[in-house]
Amino acid sequence: MSSVPASAFLALALILFCIGLYGALTKRNTVIVLISIELMLNAVNINLVTFSKYGVEPSITGQIFTLFAIAVAAAEAAVGLAILFSLYRNKRTVNIDKMDSMKH
Amino acid sequence: MMENAWIIPLFPLLSFLILLLFGKRLKEASAYVGILLTLASLVYSILVLIERLDAPNYVTKADWLTIGDIHLTAGFEVNQLNALMLFIVSLVSFLVHTYSKGYMHGDERFPVFYAYLGLFTFAMLGLVISPNLLQTYVFWELVGLGSFLLIGFYYYKEEAKAAAKKAFIMTRIGDVGLFIGMILLFWQTKSFEYSEIFKAVEAGSISQTMITLTAILIFVGAVGKSGQFPLHTWLPDAMEGPTPVSALIHAATMVAAGVYLVAALFPLFNASETALMTVAVVGGFTAIFAASIGLVQTDIKRVLAYSTVSQLGYMMLALGSAGYVAGVFHLMTHAFFKALLFLAAGSVIHAVHTQDIEEMGGLWKKLRLTGPLFLIGTLAISGVPLLSGFFSKDEILAAAWEGGHPILFLLALIAAFFTAFYMFRLFFMVFTGNPRGNQEHVHESPTSMTFPMIVLGVLAIIGGYVNTPWFGSFLGDWLTEGNEALAHEAEGPVWIMILATVVSLLGIYLSWLIYGKRSISRNWLSGKGDKMHTILLNKYYVDEFYELTIIKLTKGISYLAQFIDVYIVEGLVKGVTGFVQGLGMSGSKLQSGQVQTYGAVAFIGLAVLVVIFALTGGYL
Amino acid sequence: MTFSGEFLAFMILALVAVVGGVLLLNLRKVIYMVVALVFTFVSIAGIYVLLSAEFIAGVQILIYSGAITIIMLFGIMLTHHHGEDEAHGGKWRKFLLFLGVVGFAFAVYMGIYNLDIEQVPTKLFENNTMQIGKALYTKHIIPFEVTSVLLLVALVGAIVLAKKDEKGADEE
Repeated sequence: MSSVPASAFLALALILFCIGLYGALTKRNTVIVLISIELMLNAVNINLVTFSKYGVEPSITGQIFTLFAIAVAAAEAAVGLAILFSLYRNKRTVNIDKMDSMKH
Repeated sequence: MMENAWIIPLFPLLSFLILLLFGKRLKEASAYVGILLTLASLVYSILVLIERLDAPNYVTKADWLTIGDIHLTAGFEVNQLNALMLFIVSLVSFLVHTYSKGYMHGDERFPVFYAYLGLFTFAMLGLVISPNLLQTYVFWELVGLGSFLLIGFYYYKEEAKAAAKKAFIMTRIGDVGLFIGMILLFWQTKSFEYSEIFKAVEAGSISQTMITLTAILIFVGAVGKSGQFPLHTWLPDAMEGPTPVSALIHAATMVAAGVYLVAALFPLFNASETALMTVAVVGGFTAIFAASIGLVQTDIKRVLAYSTVSQLGYMMLALGSAGYVAGVFHLMTHAFFKALLFLAAGSVIHAVHTQDIEEMGGLWKKLRLTGPLFLIGTLAISGVPLLSGFFSKDEILAAAWEGGHPILFLLALIAAFFTAFYMFRLFFMVFTGNPRGNQEHVHESPTSMTFPMIVLGVLAIIGGYVNTPWFGSFLGDWLTEGNEALAHEAEGPVWIMILATVVSLLGIYLSWLIYGKRSISRNWLSGKGDKMHTILLNKYYVDEFYELTIIKLTKGISYLAQFIDVYIVEGLVKGVTGFVQGLGMSGSKLQSGQVQTYGAVAFIGLAVLVVIFALTGGYL
Repeated sequence: MTFSGEFLAFMILALVAVVGGVLLLNLRKVIYMVVALVFTFVSIAGIYVLLSAEFIAGVQILIYSGAITIIMLFGIMLTHHHGEDEAHGGKWRKFLLFLGVVGFAFAVYMGIYNLDIEQVPTKLFENNTMQIGKALYTKHIIPFEVTSVLLLVALVGAIVLAKKDEKGADEE
């Protein structure tokens, strides 16, 4: 029916997820780390949408879930940024390797 | 009195404790504490000695340790030898205490010095009244400690430090012998008691070889303490200590301990020909060996030190020739005149502030009291008739003759000649001729210093009359009373006495020719035997020999041990700790507090698991 | 696999998305990184359209390309960052992580590369928004309401967190 197989979408999602993961674990700037996490969430969303169309039992539920995920991601971004500001006020830096209070 | 003889050593101990606690406050008044308490010891010792003249021996002991059937006891004993030694030690100690008040005046550590003197005296007095070997050993080591502290009294001088260490270590080498001998005796007799040991020896329950072995081992201890060859080198170096200490060490305490030990264990030695022979040979050799070194030394205290070594050799020779009485007799007279000589030498040093006899000379007129007293000491040690040294030396020569060793007799005779020669060389160099050094401020010593010298001078003259061939051998009879094994009729032929006198006078005459009248050039002798002179000046290179052999060897072994310790033992330990530490370090590095790192580590772990899972075909 | 317009569109969109992601990793300026990611987000919206999810595509553009990108840019500017993301210390860590990510991707790819699910005709593209609305307000009403609460909480929490403590009067 469709000329693009489901695995192609999944593979794209996988690549994006890996990029996001690598970015989240290597970047020093906390904002970039947060945005990398958004990218990972997006990759997951692609998966959800793909399966909502090409799954064994296609249904709208996958899209609904994507909506929820986007809402949660938005909330996460907002709270994450708020935490970042708070930290920045205390430490005058957004470098993630300076935030090692958990050690003490 | 004798029941309470244990109190005698406690006086100096009390002095030591008082000065240790309150010395800083008492300052120079601490001298009085020391003097009074040693005077108490002296008085008590005299009383004990007088009582012992008629009364029998007194021994008392209490169980100290009980291990199975073995009872180790502690106690004290008063017999002839002990009583005599108590008297000698406390007398010399008292005089040295008195003398030090003047000599050490102005020293910063004055109370400490008196405290050490107290400890030293306590140790020696304790040693002489010990009734068993174990107790003797304890005090023996305490004596070693006392000498260490006193020789190293001027600890800021490198030489004094080295000398103290040397004295301690050298005597310790001997102590090992004593210790082994003691343990062997204990093994054989199940007792440390002198009386038990003698009983066992008499009963023949110890094999002859064992007797010889233990006797020689114990003699090794005496060799160390009494500065006999080959462990004599510490004694001249011990001159780095203050002069009163030298007097104390050389006359009454430290070195006398060795002779005393051999004398106290004389029945044991007497039971073995070989042991006696060893003692005699070592003594005789040391006598002439040290005397020959004494011929050329230029340090006033070193000459006296070598004469002490030589005289101790004499005593050993006497004991080894079965001349028990002669040995003890000479120990007593030697204590008097050697203490006198040292105190007088101290007085000279006090006056001219140098120890080099080349820088002295012509002091006779300036030191009106010290000069004649020194002369008395010199005459006595040289064996000039009518002074104490004459009688005891004659006794030794007779014993050596009687003992049947013509060579030893000859050695003793030559040593006597040497002694007379170098002692008078010393006397002439110091007191006659023209002043060679700066002698502007020379003055006679204070009374506290001259008084002990006068006492000793008198004793050096009359001390010999307790045992003479003319007025009866009172001391000899008394010492051997009740113990006939010790009795040894050393009534040598009259010609020995004449020969000894002639030899001494010959030595004095030669010395006078060279150093007094100067009719023979001083270089006459040293010119003849240039090499010999150098060898003597370097004390036969014994120190150098030790340096090259024993010390190098020990150092080599030590380096090896150090190597093993540092690289192998410590390496192992460090390896183990390093491993654990590294593990901890890397673990703690992981806990950096950085979320990203945690995430990375967790993810890598997950990735590895997933990859393994995928490769092994874990899913689908 | 026939060559069609759909396939071409997918390839272009996928390419843009991946290039955006790679740029995110390789650019040095933080602002550029975020801007590069906008491309990714927009192309993901295109992917949604290909997957018959027009409403999600719209939401994607509004929320991600719009809102989140913008607040991230605000975040960067408000933290006065000097704009460069220096290389993170520890090349070893990066290398190991790279290996780990590649290994992970490989393992997951093993699972999906020949995923063969029989395609079932769907009507998702017909009145997509209406379908979503119906599902949301019927079947998923409770999660929907909970999500609204979540958003409220996030709003309050963000304000509380970002508010300057004590003395700080001005809020974010």
